Amino acid sequence: MKPSRCHVITSQMLDKTFLADIMKMRGGQNILDCIQCGVCAGSCHAAWAMDFTPMQIIRMIHLGMKETILSSATIWICASCYTCTTRCPRGIDIPLIMSALKHTAIKEKFPAKIEIKPKFHQSFAEIVLKYGRIHEPELFLKITRKNNLHEIMQNAKLGLTLLRKGKLKLKAPKVNKKTQWSAIFEKVSKEAAA
Amino acid sequence: MKYAFFPGCSIHTTAREYGISCDAVSRVLGIELIEIPDWNCCGAMDAVYAYNPFLSISMSARNLALAESMKLDIVTLCSACFFTLSRAKKLLNEDSELKGKVGNLLNDAELKYTGDVKVRHYIDVLLNDVGLEDISKNVKVKLDGLKVAPYYGCMLVRPPNIVNFDDPEHPNSMDKVIEAIGGKNVDYMYKTRCCGASLGLTEGEVMMEMTKDLLLEARNVSADCVAVPCPLCHLNMDAKQKTIESALDLKIDMPVVFFTQLMGLAFGISPKELGLNKNCVSTDKLVKRFHG
Repeated sequence: MKPSRCHVITSQMLDKTFLADIMKMRGGQNILDCIQCGVCAGSCHAAWAMDFTPMQIIRMIHLGMKETILSSATIWICASCYTCTTRCPRGIDIPLIMSALKHTAIKEKFPAKIEIKPKFHQSFAEIVLKYGRIHEPELFLKITRKNNLHEIMQNAKLGLTLLRKGKLKLKAPKVNKKTQWSAIFEKVSKEAAA
Repeated sequence: MKYAFFPGCSIHTTAREYGISCDAVSRVLGIELIEIPDWNCCGAMDAVYAYNPFLSISMSARNLALAESMKLDIVTLCSACFFTLSRAKKLLNEDSELKGKVGNLLNDAELKYTGDVKVRHYIDVLLNDVGLEDISKNVKVKLDGLKVAPYYGCMLVRPPNIVNFDDPEHPNSMDKVIEAIGGKNVDYMYKTRCCGASLGLTEGEVMMEMTKDLLLEARNVSADCVAVPCPLCHLNMDAKQKTIESALDLKIDMPVVFFTQLMGLAFGISPKELGLNKNCVSTDKLVKRFHG
């Protein structure tokens, strides 16, 4: 097999402000402390499903490879299990950086490699804003890929099983009008939309 | 022993057996869990945070403030809630600007957050407030010879600078509880390996690969069941076990129970009161063995 050079970096790929932007976000402050030791990459339980390891993503942030990062699968595959950070000798909060990257991708409407993911985060936030708590049936409906019959069947089966066991409530959680909890968060959500 | 109980969304829905069994066990041990009135979603780790970090933190803060007004420690059952609330507390303590901004929001709702409230997991209460001796004293049916794979998952023990509970690589808090009720913990090397968490909702195939490893390893070490402290791990390992079996053409058939259900069995509480009929993988064998 002919060896292929997959990640050749060109100056067009580099964004000069990206590193500074990420460093301003929670989790990104000490990103330059990374010594590229690879403990995060070796520890990651989901690395096999990623296109870049966490170690690579951190280095790519240093370099400013904004577009490559935000269109990667990695940022959406990170399950925030915190094995990497627990072992990181430099104390870098990698899952929080992944969240910052997800947030940037969602805010800038970046086309996601796993296209359902921005919708997952948005739907989850909208549902908890509406009821104060999550309402699983609504979330299932919103994030099941409509063009994937297999997934529809799998989720329907799971839904029925949970329903039979009395573990799924079709009725949405009751909103307590008196305490107006959502009024507190209305401002916050407006800020998100902006 | 009184606590401000933060159930989190799943305890009333997908993890009902966790809530039910915890109630039953708490009654025996004299733990009074007072549900925080009108609590809201904890902020849901990365699910809400990635959409709007400030929203996630303020949602946590409202719960923390509600518990503060009750002048009690917060106790959670869900590992993800435990992490999310603990993280918000840490972020608010470290960032006075953020604390001020969140404080203003809470003021509008006549709530105040000072940062005094302690966030604790139910296992912490069992070990440090109740004590293993009292747990053993209440055992009526020793779970003699029951081989348990204690699976901790992620957020109960990681990252140590946020949750500050047990050893992040080799935890044994739940092991101790299982021992105290007569169970035998098998040497289970995937105690803290991630199950795939919310990937199960959007990236089913990735979650299935990850969860399958945990279940098969429990098989390999001849466990009779897996004990878990986290509703999301439980959903992936129990409710989705059949789906995993058919998708990956495997036979697993491994009961996955909440550790509180095992405690209840040992305390002689009826299986129904422990929601043992609500687990998706049958717990009949387990029940028959210790409950005539």
